[in-house]
Amino acid sequence: MREITYAEAINEAHRFTMRENPEVILFGENVSSNWRAATKGLKEEFGRERVRDAPITETAFIGAGVGAAIAGMRPIVELMLVDFSLVAMDQVLNQMAKTTYMTGGSVNVPMVLRVIYGAGGGNAATHSESLYGLYAHMPGMKIVVPSTPYDAKGLLITAVHDPNPVVFFEHRLLYSARGHVPEEPYEVPFGVANLVREGSDVTVVAVGKMVGEAVKAADELKGRVSVEVLDPRTLVPLDEEAILRSVQKTGRLVVVDEDYERCGFSAEVAAVAAEKGFHSLKAPVSRVANPNVPIPFNRELERHVLPDAEKIVRAIKGVVK
Amino acid sequence: MKLKKEQQLSLYRAMVRIRTFENGVRRLTDEGKIGHVSLSGGGEAVAAAVGTHLNRGDQIGSTHRPLGHLVAKGCDLKHMMAEIAGKATGTNRGKGGAYHIFSPEAGALGANGIVGGSVPMCAGYALANQLRGDGHVSVSYFGEGASNQGGVQETLNLAACWKLPVVFVCENSSPVVQTMLGHEIDYPQLSIDDVSARASAYGMLGSSHPGWDVEEAFKAVGEAVERARKGEGPTLLEFKVHRVEGEESEHCPIRCYREKLMKLGVLTEKLDREIRDREAAAVKEAIDFAVGSPEPELVDAYKNIFAEGAR
Repeated sequence: MREITYAEAINEAHRFTMRENPEVILFGENVSSNWRAATKGLKEEFGRERVRDAPITETAFIGAGVGAAIAGMRPIVELMLVDFSLVAMDQVLNQMAKTTYMTGGSVNVPMVLRVIYGAGGGNAATHSESLYGLYAHMPGMKIVVPSTPYDAKGLLITAVHDPNPVVFFEHRLLYSARGHVPEEPYEVPFGVANLVREGSDVTVVAVGKMVGEAVKAADELKGRVSVEVLDPRTLVPLDEEAILRSVQKTGRLVVVDEDYERCGFSAEVAAVAAEKGFHSLKAPVSRVANPNVPIPFNRELERHVLPDAEKIVRAIKGVVK
Repeated sequence: MKLKKEQQLSLYRAMVRIRTFENGVRRLTDEGKIGHVSLSGGGEAVAAAVGTHLNRGDQIGSTHRPLGHLVAKGCDLKHMMAEIAGKATGTNRGKGGAYHIFSPEAGALGANGIVGGSVPMCAGYALANQLRGDGHVSVSYFGEGASNQGGVQETLNLAACWKLPVVFVCENSSPVVQTMLGHEIDYPQLSIDDVSARASAYGMLGSSHPGWDVEEAFKAVGEAVERARKGEGPTLLEFKVHRVEGEESEHCPIRCYREKLMKLGVLTEKLDREIRDREAAAVKEAIDFAVGSPEPELVDAYKNIFAEGAR
């Protein structure tokens, strides 16, 4: 099978859904520019009406996405970085997320908010966050965090087809990652975890870029500890069954999360295991996550607070000893 | 622009309908049957003018003082009243309340509990209209307080940059002394007299008008809607509105227009009575419907978090 990058896979998902449905439109900062790999060439194919640049006013253009979705379009709205969504919290959390509920279902908001996220680039605390835990906390949005080019394409197609708001998290450092991606369109369903690596001693749950780190850790421990790596792919809906099934098999759980540890995704997965899989656990659940500090600019400090394969290995050794 | 007699009566009737409906809501509040609802007395002329110019396929986005806008847009009175009472038969199945009434079939795309919250969404309705090329327009209502919100300012700019078919309607309810929530304030919230002065800063047309003169409002809204329909972009209209309850004030748009229409011989005491009786009967029917409607089931609390089987 051919290999393409994560960004190219995202680009293909746009191209397919925009060809398929004239109601699919795309806007955001610089989406017409050719230096943006994920949206390169879309304006040339679909025109400046459907692929349009927005002023740097996240509240206005996210709100315009919400309105366009309510009015029958299927907007994909791109945010250059997830941190920038913080200036538009009303439109995201009050309007986009709650309108379906507050109207008793008389309207729905079929919108995809594509956000680029992630640390590791030395970009400091307003250009590096993950924040999917914050969004997953609020009812009314589906939260998607693809870790591979294959998943990025299939999950984005599913997101555009979904009748609900979807926040789609693309890790900036995965954009150039290559992987096998079929040329034809396909959906990857929400709420179905991907069993990345089978193992029997410990379950490692991770999403996004941390899946790769978890696999590295598993490789490093090969022959000593049999590590199962599970990628839920979507935080909302969360494939609790897959997590519990794996924990039942291994009896041990490590959750890896690039996002803040407190009240986040790692806490949620740990809570699922504690509430519904307690009797399978042979050791306390261990978390490897950002220790609740803003991402520092200095590369050594940044590395110090971010989860990586080495820290995951340490956590695994801690629960299997 | 000279209005025809039917147009004049239609505007008058629309204003009476709004006032009668809101009086019904106030009565229910006074009787303890529902909680407090922010009413729009004094703003009827603006809502009637907008409502008269819009078609069903046009959209409005409204505020936390929305009832006049919604009534004028043609929302069903019974289902609105039921929503205000939190009933299962309400426009939002009892899950939104007065400040969040949506009625998509009437093009009423939403009252909004956040000051300025509906304004960016109106740009989205207008964007959908523009892309479909169907000639529909959206009208975005907000108050002078909301006019300072970043999202409102951002949306004025976005609408101008994208030349969207939207009309921004600011109801300035502090026309003489600046107030907030009806109370005088020590520091002003506006450093200018006319909110419409901001239009030129975004490269769009803007103008200010007395909100109690329904024919002037009708003319101003008509021109702005026409421009939007022709693809000539957005307009910012400001209407100075005096909040009133009864019809004693000289700034009560209903009183002003009644006197004018009487003088013109368009309206008679008898016709006025007939109009008022008819609207009162419709509101009574709405109240009876709301009071007699069932409460939502507890299980409904868990429904509609996500669209179920939607497009």
